[in-house]
Amino acid sequence: MKRIGMEGSLAIAEAAKAAHVDVVAAYPITPQTHIVEKLAELVATGELKADYIPVESEHSAMSACLGSCAVGARTFTATAGQGLELMHEVLYVASSMRLPIIMVVVNRSLSAPLSVWGDHSDVMAVRDCGWIQMFAENVQQAYDLTLCAFKIGEDHSVLFPVMVHVDGFHLSHVIEPYFVLNQEDIDGFIPPYRYPYALNPAKPVTLGAFGPPNVYTEAKKAQEVALLSTKKVILNTWTQFKKLSGRSYNPVEVYKTDDADVALMTMGSFSETAMLAIDSLRSQGLKVGLVRLRLWRPFPFDELRAAVSNLSTLIVFDRAISSGGPPGPVASEIRSALYPMKTRPKVVSFIGGLGGRDVTVQAFEKLIKKGIEKAKADQLTDYEMIEVRGQ
Amino acid sequence: MNGQQTTEFRWHGRGGQGAVTSAEMIALAAIEEGKFAQAFPSFGPERRGAPVLAFNRVHDSIPIKIRSGVTNPDVVVVLDPGLLTIIDVMAGLKENGVLVINSPKSLSELKKDYSGPWNLAVVDATKIARKELGVPIVNTTMLGAVVKAVGIIKLESLNGPIKEHFGARAPSNITAAREAYEQTQIAPPVKTMPKRVEVLEVLPSWQEILPGCVVTSPGSAKQYRTGDWRSKYTDFDYSRCIKCGLCYIFCPEGCIEQRPDGYFESNKYYCKGCGICATECPKEVISMIEEAS
Repeated sequence: MKRIGMEGSLAIAEAAKAAHVDVVAAYPITPQTHIVEKLAELVATGELKADYIPVESEHSAMSACLGSCAVGARTFTATAGQGLELMHEVLYVASSMRLPIIMVVVNRSLSAPLSVWGDHSDVMAVRDCGWIQMFAENVQQAYDLTLCAFKIGEDHSVLFPVMVHVDGFHLSHVIEPYFVLNQEDIDGFIPPYRYPYALNPAKPVTLGAFGPPNVYTEAKKAQEVALLSTKKVILNTWTQFKKLSGRSYNPVEVYKTDDADVALMTMGSFSETAMLAIDSLRSQGLKVGLVRLRLWRPFPFDELRAAVSNLSTLIVFDRAISSGGPPGPVASEIRSALYPMKTRPKVVSFIGGLGGRDVTVQAFEKLIKKGIEKAKADQLTDYEMIEVRGQ
Repeated sequence: MNGQQTTEFRWHGRGGQGAVTSAEMIALAAIEEGKFAQAFPSFGPERRGAPVLAFNRVHDSIPIKIRSGVTNPDVVVVLDPGLLTIIDVMAGLKENGVLVINSPKSLSELKKDYSGPWNLAVVDATKIARKELGVPIVNTTMLGAVVKAVGIIKLESLNGPIKEHFGARAPSNITAAREAYEQTQIAPPVKTMPKRVEVLEVLPSWQEILPGCVVTSPGSAKQYRTGDWRSKYTDFDYSRCIKCGLCYIFCPEGCIEQRPDGYFESNKYYCKGCGICATECPKEVISMIEEAS
């Protein structure tokens, strides 16, 4: 295992190359551009023996991915923000047709005002699209999870497309060290892609057929049960990956929660910044910890409930707004997930880090202290947007 | 039948025959009379010739709230006689209800197969439509038969909706409806149930559905013999045929086959009678002839 310094986007491209992708169909969009530029270069120089399809839009990118995945080609793409939105309807087709397309989403805010910078607005808009979705917190994880995504999605008991979420700029454009796996280890880890229903004139099948009202409900029930049952393979894959790399991944990750009374919840790259805030508050005598959602879909209900069962307060930090609804989309899901518990922590909702707005260690410390106060005062029906001018 | 209870209609037709429009006309006529009524379609694949359903509910004085399909109709209308052998049109039909059939056969001929604990009404709507409208589209014609057999709506009440919908073509449609009203023959209910069409539809449970709803057995469309959708059929005059195969290439159903002698013919079990082959043939070998003739 070699330790090298590399930009996050390039590490992701290296992971796709190491997985021997057959087809990359992508449309460039900031901040995803470096991933697909690198892959185009690798294909052009012959280092990666794959077809690169330079499509005219993200809608076409995902549509091309449907086709290539359906003939049994290992298929990779990447997008961000508006691009993910333009793919929206095709995302549902990919998951419903059970085509294991692997996609890195470089998380970006949604216009307007026009913003190319990072937040989780794009993720939250596609949370119900039926893909397996997971979050990376650093370049190493972006690389690791991209590799794992192929093994998970293409498993015959899974057959679902997988999104690996990496924060725009914070991860896509950061250079940091990471460990590269040996090619032989990767080849042993990810078996060749064998789509069981691949389009083949010698063995014809019909894909994407019509589903009238007397079939659609059964189709959706089957799909939903199948998605929920992918967790076994996800856990198993991460266990095997640990044996290979020494790095472990879990649906819900915890940091210093063993004796904690209060925990912050984050997703993605801000989690590491938040850890420093936890360290700082602990040095001030506060029993606080951090809970991070690694696996976003299928939602890890059991793991989450176990992780927060001893907490009095859970402070959820959202990087998106559910406009006109329960404001923080993650906070809303957490409340829903915890509601059936007999005793459950109070959930306090904060929103920040929108459109690339920085969140510092100090801001997280302030947010956690504020969250503790709000929980004590039972101010749980509102939410707070942090660091807004004019408060 | 009276208007004190909800009268429920189920229309059986084929895409393009106007069953949906028929249902709309009944509802609009009832509403014009001050009644409460609804009309709505149940679409399958949107394609010409495929069996379609449309529904009505009519009540003299109470708003209609139910939105689900009609499964126990008081009135069943069959626009296309070809449907009688492939669909159980009598399914759920209430006692003392009405079964209205468009057929060139006489009432006495039809009684054997379609009389039951309901009134049986028959009219040759296709013949009337051809005469009055010049096309075998029977939806407005059948309205006359339905009004006669059901009796809860006045024939004149259809005039307004037909004028609104058909514009310049309204007078011939109104005439066709009136002719059907006059020619409809009705037989009273009998105690015996007729033999029913057995529709074997086995639907999969959710556990039986393959990932992505993949269909792994090729050729499953073969069981849908679409040939009974057509109103016109191909007639080949081989004396002019140069065996170019354009008919074979253009047929959207893939139902034109080459015979050992090199000439082409269409498979009557699948040909929908679209006429594309006749249009494309450079030697005018193919003509489309009326199925009924």
